[in-house]
Amino acid sequence: MNGLDWHEGRVVWERKPGAPPPAARAKKGNATRRAAAIIACSLVAVLMAGCSAATAPGTPSSGGSGEKKSTYKLGAVVSLTGTYAGLGQPEKNVIDMEVERINAAGGINGHPLEVVVLDDATDVKKAVSDTAKLIDEEKVLGVLGATGSGQTMAMRGEIDKASVPQVSMAGATVITKQFDKWVFQTPWSNVIVLPLELKYMQSKGVKKLALLSDSSAFGKDGVEVAKANLGKYGISVVAEETFNPGDTDMTAQLTKIKSANPDAILLVNAGKEAAIVVKGARQLGVTAAIYGTHGNARAEFIQGAGTAADGFVFGAGKVLVPDAYGKDTEAYKIATDFVDRYTKKYGAAPSTFAGHAYDALYLTVEAMKRLPEGFTPEQLRDEIEKTSGFVGIGGTFTFSPTDHNGMTENDLVMYKIENGKWALAQ
Amino acid sequence: MGSREVSWELLQFGVAGLKNGAIYALVALGFTIVYASTNVINFAQGEFYMLGGMFATFVFAHLGLPLGLAAVAAVVATAATAVVFELLAVRPRVGGDPMTIIIVTVGGSVLLRSLARHAFGSDELALPAFSQGGSIMVGGAAIDRQTLWVWGIAALAVAALWVLYTRTRLGRAMRATAVDGEAARLVGIDTRLLVTVSFGLAAVLGAVAGLVVTPLTQTAYDVGAAIGLKGFAAAILGGLGNPVAAVVGGIVLGLLESLSVAFISSTYKDAIALAVLLLVLFLRPSGLLGRTRREKV
Repeated sequence: MNGLDWHEGRVVWERKPGAPPPAARAKKGNATRRAAAIIACSLVAVLMAGCSAATAPGTPSSGGSGEKKSTYKLGAVVSLTGTYAGLGQPEKNVIDMEVERINAAGGINGHPLEVVVLDDATDVKKAVSDTAKLIDEEKVLGVLGATGSGQTMAMRGEIDKASVPQVSMAGATVITKQFDKWVFQTPWSNVIVLPLELKYMQSKGVKKLALLSDSSAFGKDGVEVAKANLGKYGISVVAEETFNPGDTDMTAQLTKIKSANPDAILLVNAGKEAAIVVKGARQLGVTAAIYGTHGNARAEFIQGAGTAADGFVFGAGKVLVPDAYGKDTEAYKIATDFVDRYTKKYGAAPSTFAGHAYDALYLTVEAMKRLPEGFTPEQLRDEIEKTSGFVGIGGTFTFSPTDHNGMTENDLVMYKIENGKWALAQ
Repeated sequence: MGSREVSWELLQFGVAGLKNGAIYALVALGFTIVYASTNVINFAQGEFYMLGGMFATFVFAHLGLPLGLAAVAAVVATAATAVVFELLAVRPRVGGDPMTIIIVTVGGSVLLRSLARHAFGSDELALPAFSQGGSIMVGGAAIDRQTLWVWGIAALAVAALWVLYTRTRLGRAMRATAVDGEAARLVGIDTRLLVTVSFGLAAVLGAVAGLVVTPLTQTAYDVGAAIGLKGFAAAILGGLGNPVAAVVGGIVLGLLESLSVAFISSTYKDAIALAVLLLVLFLRPSGLLGRTRREKV
């Protein structure tokens, strides 16, 4: 629990006994105290939720006492609750695990590393306030995140104002296309993934495509990129439907898609709704192939969709089936080591989202290692931009002053779910 | 698009609307039952829906009980949670300022959500379908087997509630309390006990709704807020405090959403449904069936 949350907790606490109207309190003092205690308990629970999300791994700041070198502090904004909780939790897991590993190995040039992780609750406003908190109160050198694209874009104002580098773990094209010199991106953006998918569709004879997306930044971005590239592959759109994050029934949208009789459906959604869509489509008797994106590279998707997930095709990085890297490569060694350590610690294989967090953290840490003592956030930004040939989980990163994504189609493969497991698509 | 195709589509939109509508109706009934005994909106109603699904997946996956037993256990556990919540947090406030109870239920919903997140984690959880097999085709529209379960269980719950209200002493006492709590208390009805019972019943309905849709939608610790809003809207749409109106409101809301996707736009589905709700309230402030409230309850 860091000092900040205690501070907030105390303020709420003090306000509480005064919450019931004074008249009511006079009438039933005992009962009021009991009710206040209940509300207090619930607020404590909320604060606990907030605190556990905000617990920073690594050693606390020593403030340079003795010969110990000062702590380098980074911030991270991830979605531990809300629609993207299933993406953000593995990201936090990775940050915890790797910070521990970095510090066990002597930190960054002898400086211990601390990453303050805050939960944005998949809410753009919360992402902005988290960012401000990290910059103003935690004085971080750089910010990792956010999990989601909308959150990532919303943080930009604070990032620019404070001139602090941001390394995002979200996949919308707009993050690097709408260029900002302070913002980097670790996942393959839609503009790399979707053309690869469309090319694959063309090879499978798809001509009529139905688009189904959620109304988040990622969903809108994906649909825009897909539409801009369809022509090249001789594919036309016969239906276009959307749903809202959090919706639990897409039967009506799928009914319209079914009546348009497409060859394939492209689903752009990185949340838990994807499983509902796939299941709903099969229940309606829709036989068209369903394509997803790198937003669906999660085991929970397969668990949720059950047998309806079989045949689902999507493009994503190679970490799901590390053989795709090629067995003798450095990437294979790094990825299998990462998968082994993660699986041992958390009891399940990491998703691609866990990989994005690994990349975001190490891209930043490697740049920090190359810098002299007492560097500024601005120097850190310049150094991250000089990254060349960094072998991560998502691929091999080379940034430039005009490319802050650094990924290419070669870092991706097409997957098909077969018998509830990821397999390389032929 | 031929006319035959249009008709299967319409049928399919109707099936989707009635499926969601049945769920909204169950949640709306929960709001109505608590409102009838306390004159208060219970904002924790959505959490009962969440708990039903979460307990069922937990009991099924971790304790290894068969699906039917897991469902019963989930309903019992949710009702027990609701009763404990009522005894600890609501009962000390009964008879006081209704606003205080409302705030307590808001706090309770946050508390239950946080506890569920700590107990069950933040990932979505799945439950297998109650019966295996493909969809049943009716006039070109596909009806999933789980949808039949949704309808069947919702109908059963409504029928059981009707029997309770009209054929038992407890039900009569609840109706009497709804009409005039003070008078009911004067003739010897334990109105405090009825508040506890109403929370238990509301939790049973919420839990049943939550667990019967989990095979279709999965569940997670945070699904309660959205469904609570829908159920609340349905209860208001029909006319708050009237069980028949809650069912009608739920079904109307479900169909409205489905048809607005069909004829207008999927993007504005929720906005259209809420706009119609506002319009109804503007024209009939006490809801679609508001006028008949006194006789029905």
